[in-house]
This record gives sequence, structure tokens and C-alpha cells, in this order.
Amino acid sequence: MTLRYDAVSYTYPGTSIGVFDVSLEIGRGELLAIIGASGSGKSTLLKLLAGFVKPANGRILIDGKDVGELLPEKRKLGVVFQNYALFPHMRLWENVGYALKVRGIGKAERRALAVEMLARVGMGARADDLPGMLSGGQQQRVALARALVFEPRGLLLDEPLSALDAGLRVEMRDEILRVQRSAGIATLLVTHDQEEALSIGDKVAVMHEGRLVQIGTPRDLYETPVNAYVAAFVGQSNLWPGKVTGTGRIDTEIGALACDTKGKSNGEAVIAFVRPERVQPTSPSAVAEPGHFSGTIEADRYLGPIRRIDLAVPGGRIRLETHLRGPVTSVEIPPDAIRLLPVS
Amino acid sequence: MSVRASTPILAAFSVPGVIVLALFFIVPVCSVLVGALSDGGSAFSRLIADPVFWNGLKGTIVLGTVAPLFSLFIGFSVALTLARLAPGLRTAALIAISLPLTFSGLIVAYGFILLLGRSGFVTLLLATIGLDPAVTGAFIFSPLGLGLAYSYYLVPRVVLIVLPAITNFDRNQLVAARSLGAGGLRALIDVMLPQIMPSLVAAFCLTSAVAVGAYGTALALVGTQVNILPLVLYSKISETGTDLPAASAASLVLVAICAAVVAIGEAVGSRRTRR
Amino acid sequence: MQVIAIAYLVFLAAPVLLLLLGSFGETWSNTLLPAGFTGRWYEEVASDPSFRRAFFTSLQIVGVTCVLNMLIGFPLAYAIQAGARGGVRFAARLVTLMPVAVPELVLAFGFILVFSSDALPWLGSFWLLAAGHLVLTLPYTVTALVADMEQLRLDEYEHAAATLGASFAARLSDVTLPLLRTSLISSMLTVAALSIGEFQLSNLVAGFLSRTYPVVLLQAFYGATGFACAATVVLLILAALASITSSTTAQIGAFEQKKPQ
Repeated sequence: MTLRYDAVSYTYPGTSIGVFDVSLEIGRGELLAIIGASGSGKSTLLKLLAGFVKPANGRILIDGKDVGELLPEKRKLGVVFQNYALFPHMRLWENVGYALKVRGIGKAERRALAVEMLARVGMGARADDLPGMLSGGQQQRVALARALVFEPRGLLLDEPLSALDAGLRVEMRDEILRVQRSAGIATLLVTHDQEEALSIGDKVAVMHEGRLVQIGTPRDLYETPVNAYVAAFVGQSNLWPGKVTGTGRIDTEIGALACDTKGKSNGEAVIAFVRPERVQPTSPSAVAEPGHFSGTIEADRYLGPIRRIDLAVPGGRIRLETHLRGPVTSVEIPPDAIRLLPVS
Repeated sequence: MSVRASTPILAAFSVPGVIVLALFFIVPVCSVLVGALSDGGSAFSRLIADPVFWNGLKGTIVLGTVAPLFSLFIGFSVALTLARLAPGLRTAALIAISLPLTFSGLIVAYGFILLLGRSGFVTLLLATIGLDPAVTGAFIFSPLGLGLAYSYYLVPRVVLIVLPAITNFDRNQLVAARSLGAGGLRALIDVMLPQIMPSLVAAFCLTSAVAVGAYGTALALVGTQVNILPLVLYSKISETGTDLPAASAASLVLVAICAAVVAIGEAVGSRRTRR
Repeated sequence: MQVIAIAYLVFLAAPVLLLLLGSFGETWSNTLLPAGFTGRWYEEVASDPSFRRAFFTSLQIVGVTCVLNMLIGFPLAYAIQAGARGGVRFAARLVTLMPVAVPELVLAFGFILVFSSDALPWLGSFWLLAAGHLVLTLPYTVTALVADMEQLRLDEYEHAAATLGASFAARLSDVTLPLLRTSLISSMLTVAALSIGEFQLSNLVAGFLSRTYPVVLLQAFYGATGFACAATVVLLILAALASITSSTTAQIGAFEQKKPQ
């Protein structure tokens, strides 16, 4: 039960938008989250897999078989749509049982299986209701049940949480993960919410302008982004353009920094990348050392457990996150906190 | 292209409709237009030499401008009032207002004879305060009176086009404009009017085309006595031994006016929907 | 603004009220309102052979027009909404504008020219009249159905049904048609209202024996006021019934999908 894109390209007719040369694989029981800004091609990837559009180049494989010519109804993939698309004229059990109906399963058995599936998502008592009576979260649960009841070969989730309130979103995120895990099914989740992607994806793929920029575990993406786009898209970051001035030294717009320059040649343009929580407040030091900065607080946001501070320093700004409650005027950026990214 | 249905299925779905429209719309209309050009344009020169045609054209242009403008004013005011009603009440009022849309022009005509005709209700009412029924009763049979009767089914069209634009309009903008010091009417003119202008133009064009092309109400009210182009054409068509190429030429003029007005409305209106 | 709206409602109701009053009035000439009360005008209309014939012809025309609209209009609307892009979509939009851009009078003239020829000698026949009503109402049906399909987000439901394994035929019968049920009923009722009142084409195209009710009605305007009123009220009630049922069906349909049964 694997889903695979093999060098897939697709362009929307009359435009230059689409996806270009995308290859990725989702293993059995694995949840891959695809993130990207709107227009990045992430939804197109889902449409290609579901069969709503056909790839211009490349192959789409389910369990190793090319499904390029297969109509959506032959692909056996469960899809949860952004607005759920529950059939308003069918009761919940009829909605969930619809995939069984078109497969010729009798009414009594269909109903039993549908009610059982509804119970698994906590909606067993509402089997005879119509979708119009449900809240967004409940519709979400039913949509999930409907997509899974016919034991599909893969589960496709298209921005499943975007229509929900913030509080409910976290709850449903866990619910989706629970149901997905118990079904042990290869799952593709499309979202624009990076927090959502990092928290439930086994792997996360970042799309940008139709191309797959990086794919990896949430930790890979957060700690070792391949370029400034991914660094900025995933979490908070400091990004300073600069130049390598010698082994272990770079010069940036805010000043000199000491860091590992392995693989970079002298004079090469780079972007220095530092996560705000790696910047450490220090006591003011008299000597101007690389990696030590003093400045004034430009913005100070209280976020409960931490404060997120923008420190204005000569030449630029340093964003840091700290538990400290007192005034902050000087900071240190340890060499191992700095990663050098290529200038795109 | 679509995954909802294969191309052959969609093509098969559209075939009956295309055949019906081709045979019973395109062919008849084209034969009229071809007929106008059949004798090398001499039909047009006969038409141009005919004073009845020019009178009819004049009447139609007056009717096609005055009736829509009047309907636009009334329809806009009604739509503004409807937009402030509770949704349930608004729906009920809309159902009532759109009733005339499906009324035959004849119903409207006879209703107006009873209301404003020579011995109509309003005419006799005005006679009690000394207005001559012979004068007031003749109004409905004039082009302007005809325009008033037309507005009976033009106003609902205006309301149906303009109301969505007004309800979609964010009223907080008016509040904002007034908080910045603009008076009520001024806020309406400066802030609301420019945003709903495309709908107003579209409504004007649609109602104008309807007013130019219709003849049923006019025929029922006044026979073929009023000088408007459709009635000139109607008498040409219904008389035997008539000059058919000239009738075709008059049809061509009528279609040209209506099509031009509709095209303008569509050009402006598509901006309205695309926004 | 409100004053204008109220004045407009009076303007809307006045002719209808006068027609109703006139139809029950014994006599009405040169007085403010009719004198006496009688139902005899309706009896006269009902017993008039040409009105009876026209009434039943109209009902037949309406029935045929509605059925043909459903059989031809729905597939056409579906093909446009599901498949048409670019140029085809534009052409479809033009078709829906045609009834306004080309006056009924000109279309009727075209019918006279084309269908009185030896090749197609159909002028005056019932079926040509029905075809005329069909082309006049078809653009309305297509516009209304396409708009409803867009508004219902039919494509999403059909995509959902497809991923669940439903074939095109299954989607059509299980999803598309049930979802469009109220739309179809509502637009057929509007078509009925339009067809029953249609005068401008029928007046020139109908044969003597296939004259519809409005065509015969015009003659009544030259007779007794009470008779004309009663004959007009019959038409008014039929059109109003169809139109109001159409609107309420649409409203109930929108409401029903939100409430349990």
C-alpha cells in the first residue's frame, strides 16, 4: 500500500502554474504532509493522485502500478475534501455507506458497516441525522469515516482542518492521527499550516512554485532547512545575507560571526540562518567579539512560556526567544547555532 | 477534460439542445437577416424613405431610454429598502415583486386600461378634482404612458439585478464614510454608488433591450396606433401582401439596437461578476 | 426611499386589484368602481368555446414545453457547467442572452419565413408552437440550472462520489439529480409561468385551431369589461400560481437540506 509520484509534471491549461518534476513516495501507514503557500502546487499534487487531473509527464503509482489512465472511481483512494462534500440529501450512514452501495453491498450489511465506522469516529449515535445538522468538527469526523469505510489503498486529506475554529483544529488533528494510525494507511495531507504539518506528519514535503523544495522529517525541516525559503516558511528564523571571509568566519549585515564554514569557499556569498531560540541573552561584554551583539529592544512579545524579542543592532535586527523576564541588551549567537544556506 | 463526465457523454448531452436552438432559433433569425440583404440593399433604401419607420425609431429610442431610467430609479429605491429588511421578509417581498416577470404583457395592458384608461380608476379620480379625463386618460396611450406600463415588469428586473450588489455591499463602509464626516447622501454617492455602478448599468441595458423589443403590451393597449418600431414591424408582418424585405430590414435594425444594448450590458456586467 | 417602495407596492397591486374587482362586477362603465356582484363573467368565459379550446391548448403547450425543457435543458446545462471552457462557455453565454437580444417579434417573423416554405410547412401546427415556446424558455432553464449547479458546488459532490467508486451513471442518479431536484422543479414551474403567458410569438405563429389562451384573450379586450377582466384574471391566476409555487419550492429546497426529516 504505497503511493508514489515519479517525476510528475502538470501545467494548468493556459497558465504557467502547476507542478514540475515532482518525485516522492508515501509508505504503508505513513503520513506525509505537504505544505506550501497558496498556488505552490500542493493541492495539484492531491488532484493528480485522486485522478481529477492527469499528469502531462511522469507516472503516478499506487502499490507499484501506474494509475495514470485510471478514472478517480477506479483508484480506491479515500479523499476528505476541504469542505467535506458530505451529500446533504443522504443521512450520515448513507453517506458513509455510499462507497459500499456502489460496490453492490446490500442495505442491511451496508448500514451495519457504516454505523460501525461512524462509531469509530465517535459519531455512532448520529447515524440517522442529515449532514446539515452537524457542526464542522462532526462533519469532519463523518467525512473521515466515509473516506475509510471501503478500505481504500490510500487516504488523501485536502486542507481538512482549515474550516475549523483554532481550538477544535488541535483536537481534530489528534483525532485524524489516531484514526489514520489505527487504519495503518498511507496518507497524504495537504495543508498551508506548517504547525499542523510538523505536528502530525511522519514526513513533511515543502512545495514552492510548483517544485518540491525539501522532504524530510519535521525535525530535518526545522533544524536543517535546505534553503532560506524553507527556513522562513517553517517556524521563526533569522536570515542574514553575508559572505565567507575565512575559515570559520563570515561577515554579515549585522557583523562578523564565527561558525562552521565547511564546504564553503572563501568569498562565497551565503545566508546565515539562526533559529530565535538559539540566540542567547548575555551580560554586556566590553570586547567586540564575533557572535556577540548589543542593541535596543525594538519589539517584545509576551507569549506565555517565552518572550519573542526583536533586538535592533547596528546593521540589522536579531530575533530571539527567551524565558528571561528582565531587560535584554546583549546576546550571543553560538557558532553551532548557525547554519549557512545557499543564496538562491 | 472534465473528470465529471467524459467528453463524448458531454457532447451527446448537448446535441439535442444545440439542434433545437439551431433549427428554431438560428435558422429563423438568420433567414430574417438574410432577407433584409436579399435584394441588394434596396429594402433599406425603401425603409429609409419611409417616414413611418423614422417615427417608429424615434418613439422606440424615447421608450427605450425613458422606461429603463424610470425603472432604474424606482428599482434602486425598492432594492435599497429591501436590503434593510429581515431576510425572511425580504424573500417574501422578492417573490411578490418578481411576479410580474412571468405575467403576460396582456395582463399588464388591461390592468393599466382599468387604472389609467379613458374611464380608468385614477383618471376618474382625477376628474373629481377637475382634471379633464380626455387629457389624463390619453396619457397611458402615449409613448411615456407606455413607458410607465412597461416599468411594471421592468422594475422587478432592476431589483433582481441590483439587490445582490446592494446586499453584498459592506454597509460598514457607509458608517466609515460618515465617521469621516460625509453626510448620509454624500456617503451614498461617494462610496456606494461607484461600487454598484456596474449592476446599475447592466440593469439599464437589460431593461432597455426588453423595452425596445416588446410589442405585446403596446398592441393590447393601443393597437398599432403608437409609433414604436416593434409595432411598425408588427403591422408590416401581419398585413398581407406586405414588403417582406423591408420588414426584414426593420427587423435587422431592431435586432441591432437590442444586441448592441445587451452587448454593452454584458461587457459592463461581466466586470461586475468577475470582481 | 421607503416611500417610493411603498408607492411601488401600491402600483404593483393596483392593476391586479382592479382586474379582480372588475371580474366580479355586474356593470362597469364610466364609474370609479364596478356596480353589483356577479360570478357570471367567469361562467361566460368557461362556456365560451374558443376560450375553452385555447385554455386546453395552452395547458398542452405548457406541459410539452416543460417536459422538453427538462429533457433537453438539463443535459445541455450539465454539459455547459461540467465541460464547457473558454470559447464554448462564451458561446453558451451568448445563447442565454439571445432571447433579449433578439425580440420575440423578430423570431416570430423568422418562423413565418422559414416554416411557411414548402420544405418545412409547419406554420400553424401545435408542434411548431411548442418548439417556439421551447426556444424561448430553454435559455432561462439553462441559465437557472447552471447557476444552481455552481452554487451547489456540484463538482465537489461529484468528485467526492467518484472517489468513493461511483461511476458517471451512479453519480448522476445518486448525487446530481437528487441535489438538483428542487432546482429542476422550480425552474420547470417558472417555465410553465412564462409559457402560459407567452403572447408575442404565439400571436403570429399559432394556427387558428392552435391559438393559445393569451392570443384569444386579446379579442376579449374589445368586448364587455367584466368578461375581459374575468378572462384576464384566469390567466393571471395561472401564471401567479406557477410563479409562486416555483419560488416557494426553491425556498423550501434551500431550507430542507438544513433540517432533519
